[in-house]
Amino acid sequence: MPRPSDSSRPRFAAGCRWGSHGEDRVVLFPEGMIRVEATGLSILELVDGQRDVAHIISTLAERYPKADPTKIREDVLSFLEKLHDKRVVDF
Amino acid sequence: MATLHKPLALIAEITHRCPLHCVYCSNPLEMIAAKKELATHDWVRIFQEARQLGVLHLHLTGGEPAARADLKELIQAAHVAGLYTNLITSGIGLNESRLAALVEAGLDHVQLSIQDATEDRANWIAGTKAHAHKIAFAGAVNKLRVAFTVNLVVHRQNLDHLEEMIAFAEQLGPNRLEIAHTQYYGWALKNRAQLMPTREQIEQCMSIVEAAQKRLAGKMRIDCVIPDYYARYPKACMGGWGRRLLLIDPAGQVLPCHAAGVIPDLKFDNVRDRSLEWIWNKSAAFNRFRGEEWMQEPCRSCERRTEDFGGCRCQAFLLTGDMTATDPACSLAPMHHLVTSQQIEKHDLREETTDVSWSYRATVE
Ligand code: SF4
Ligand code: SF4
Repeated sequence: MPRPSDSSRPRFAAGCRWGSHGEDRVVLFPEGMIRVEATGLSILELVDGQRDVAHIISTLAERYPKADPTKIREDVLSFLEKLHDKRVVDF
Repeated sequence: MATLHKPLALIAEITHRCPLHCVYCSNPLEMIAAKKELATHDWVRIFQEARQLGVLHLHLTGGEPAARADLKELIQAAHVAGLYTNLITSGIGLNESRLAALVEAGLDHVQLSIQDATEDRANWIAGTKAHAHKIAFAGAVNKLRVAFTVNLVVHRQNLDHLEEMIAFAEQLGPNRLEIAHTQYYGWALKNRAQLMPTREQIEQCMSIVEAAQKRLAGKMRIDCVIPDYYARYPKACMGGWGRRLLLIDPAGQVLPCHAAGVIPDLKFDNVRDRSLEWIWNKSAAFNRFRGEEWMQEPCRSCERRTEDFGGCRCQAFLLTGDMTATDPACSLAPMHHLVTSQQIEKHDLREETTDVSWSYRATVE
């Protein structure tokens, strides 16, 4: 299971894109959809194929100055790893 | 009254026309002629209504969807309506430029079915020289940014080459591989005796798939479902009757699943006469097997009834003649012998293609 590095530029895998389901924002992919909430949503909104992982982490750290930076880092890495596993995100 | 769920997916059989003649085709034996097909504007309206009803995924299938000249307009309309569009195709009728136009119009995912690893065997199962074209088609898909699934349709006549088939599919470059055991509806039911896998093949299949999943982890996802004839419990057919999916046939009839047309007592409403919302919420056909009222024993008091909903209604009817019976694929079903009697432990004599006589899917104009 590969983890992204600071310089990886995550992007949506082919066939994965945003959609909405009622009030919820979801990611649609060939076999179905996943609901993304809270932390996941704020991470995934920064996934655009341009920003690298370091940039995503620093953006979130600025946005949530009270949160523990090591935890933010861990959240981002494990979330991206999980979505990579589901083939939703490439890096 | 059962809780009413919202549909998540719409299967749009936009035409029954198809240049192939696959012996495992699940289309009904009586197919719908081109002159009865819905018009472009009907489908455009359906896609909008479906999205409003909650549908997220659209599966464009057939027949061969590319047999419709307006495929690009349909994909565009679905995309604009906000649907995620999947195209289930043999690739016949789609050259590089037409495919590129479909992706441009908003196509999200292409699913290509493969019949066997070698040209002769594959064409023998498809009843058409389609294999070489499929290889070229996969090349065209790979040039575009679109999700790509290869679907290996397996049965007794090709399961002995499953490893070769997987290796062949890898070369086609999909993101995902689906290994689909033939389901016995339509033409496949007609050919069941020739298609039914042996228990030995199913066991081998499981270990081959497991090994391939390990080998290809992180590169290509492999999904495979055990055929219900050899499983202990039935599948939750279509995620439960009238719970997740709806299917519209080429002439506009709305059905809860592919095969529901075989159940004689059911009357299906048509999108030409009614809104999709009315049909989903109110039609007799969709309400017929919602909830648990209709169930017989052993389903009625079985713990699994909220997971598999008593199995497939169409299979229950086709095999037992009673549409409310427990699906005979279930090991607890009183009529389970109807399924076990079809099982084959192993075949020592490998069949030659010349030994097999089966019915190819017919042509419809
Ligand atoms: S004949 Fe084959 S390709 Fe055509 S609709 Fe049937 S299964 Fe699909
Ligand atoms: S008895 Fe009915 S509910 Fe129970 S497992 Fe079998 S089919 Fe499912």
